[in-house]
Amino acid sequence: MNTYICRYCRQPSDPNSPTCPLCGAPVDIRSSVSDSGWVEQPAIKDMARLQFGQSHLQIAGTTVPVAEFNLAPNDWIYFSHHVLLWTDPATRLTNMPMRGAWNRKMAGMPLVMVEGRGPGHLALSDNHAGEVIALPLQHGQQIWVREHRFLCATGNIRYDWYPSDLWYETGDGNDREMHYPMGQFGDVFGSHEGPGLLLLHAPGNAFVRDLQPGQSLLVQPSALLYRDVSVRMSLHLEYPRNMGFAFWHNRWSYRSIWARLFGPGRVAVQSVYQPPEDTEIIVNHSYATTHHW
Amino acid sequence: MIQCRWCQAQNQPGTTSCQTCGAPLDEKDKVSDSGWREAPRLRDMTEFQFSGSTCQVEGELVPVAEVALHPRDGVYFEHHVLLWKDESVPLSSLNTGGGMKRTIGGMPHIVTVANGPGRIAFSRDAPGELVVLPLHPGMELDVREHAFLVASHSVQYSFVRIKGLVNLLHGGSGMYMDRFVTAGAPGMLLLHGNGNVLQRTLRPNEKILVEPGGFLYKDSSVQMQAAQMPLKTGHLRHGMYLAEMTGPGRVGIQSMYVHHHAD
Repeated sequence: MNTYICRYCRQPSDPNSPTCPLCGAPVDIRSSVSDSGWVEQPAIKDMARLQFGQSHLQIAGTTVPVAEFNLAPNDWIYFSHHVLLWTDPATRLTNMPMRGAWNRKMAGMPLVMVEGRGPGHLALSDNHAGEVIALPLQHGQQIWVREHRFLCATGNIRYDWYPSDLWYETGDGNDREMHYPMGQFGDVFGSHEGPGLLLLHAPGNAFVRDLQPGQSLLVQPSALLYRDVSVRMSLHLEYPRNMGFAFWHNRWSYRSIWARLFGPGRVAVQSVYQPPEDTEIIVNHSYATTHHW
Repeated sequence: MIQCRWCQAQNQPGTTSCQTCGAPLDEKDKVSDSGWREAPRLRDMTEFQFSGSTCQVEGELVPVAEVALHPRDGVYFEHHVLLWKDESVPLSSLNTGGGMKRTIGGMPHIVTVANGPGRIAFSRDAPGELVVLPLHPGMELDVREHAFLVASHSVQYSFVRIKGLVNLLHGGSGMYMDRFVTAGAPGMLLLHGNGNVLQRTLRPNEKILVEPGGFLYKDSSVQMQAAQMPLKTGHLRHGMYLAEMTGPGRVGIQSMYVHHHAD
């Protein structure tokens, strides 16, 4: 078998298959790249199969795709119970407790993951129109993922979570309020004991770009889908020029709150996002660059 | 003749979509390895017939069903799915019975009836697909609440209370299901499924466990009951329940759903 490097998952793959067996990306299409260098992540073809371990999964549907797993006896995956769509009675489901229950509860993250063990079938889907993104991880490879985008991972992928370090504070006294435009925590997944597979769900469409060393980019914080752990990020606050009216507004209502990403590494964004609220004046924040036009 | 693989109707050679349900006839079936068949994705502007009327499907993200009603035909629907209509199309209301109980269950106790001649269009408010289910005489179909888009007047409408305390408390599909029955004449039923819709036919006593929010429809021959999983979820360590479906019959699910007991 000839090998080639899949341009989407960047792993050695099979050019004779219509879709990459590791990430499901179509092999026989031209890359769709915007003038500024964003590569559109192609949707996984309906009924495409992906291989991992002795098991495989199949993607069904294109609006809200379903990931249907056929788990071999020694393979297992984990996921949040919210995304379970159906299961064979034979598939074994057990709890997988997470550390830091109180902090996870406060951040709105699932407290308990579910392990699904083969042999058997089960299927997962998220609750938004969008795309399933398959990220095969080589042994030792790590990836940062924005919270709530995780769909599932194979058992040999280690899951940890860290404060996102992007925050700002508004109000004073009893009205003081913390804001986390990218979520309070970020998920970090790393493969150990061989290669593994991580599935994400991206609402809308997904786009990928490689940042060169030192190159920086501003993105809506809630649009960031994943990034290599080599990519650093910080807050960037941008205020429009005062055009002589509503002068008090440009301190908050028309400001932009960005995540500034620094290369090198790969970053991916999704086209559905929620801009940070226009709230009161920022009184404190994590490390940030600021620009007043 | 070409047989439609979705509704089994016979079509003239050379037709590219089923005249009875609109399913493309020139595409391969999409069936997953475990036997779930994708509901056919209707092509934009596809037309199909029921009784003397015509239905045209417009759009693909949030599809619209536009019905050209024959003078002797009528359709009924929940009033909030009505998108537009000809001014001349008369509307009337039909009491479904169950009044206060259905109101408490979040279900309409009045459906609206539109009679031909004239045009009228329907859509729900979420990305998804139209599921066209031609009903042959003697069929009974149970549908999750608020998934029903429109039905022809020959289809009898009732509802079934989901039995059993465990179902009421933990089954995420709500207290009632709509039941559609055809007596002597065939009828047409259109549902809206959120996301993608998949259907599987269970053999007698074959079981499948489905997230209650993902349940969309089933033949009335399929038994549904809540099954507790050996899992605890959330801060309060709630039990996790799935809907256990037991064949024989068809089960339809949707891939995007509202989770009623998420924590």
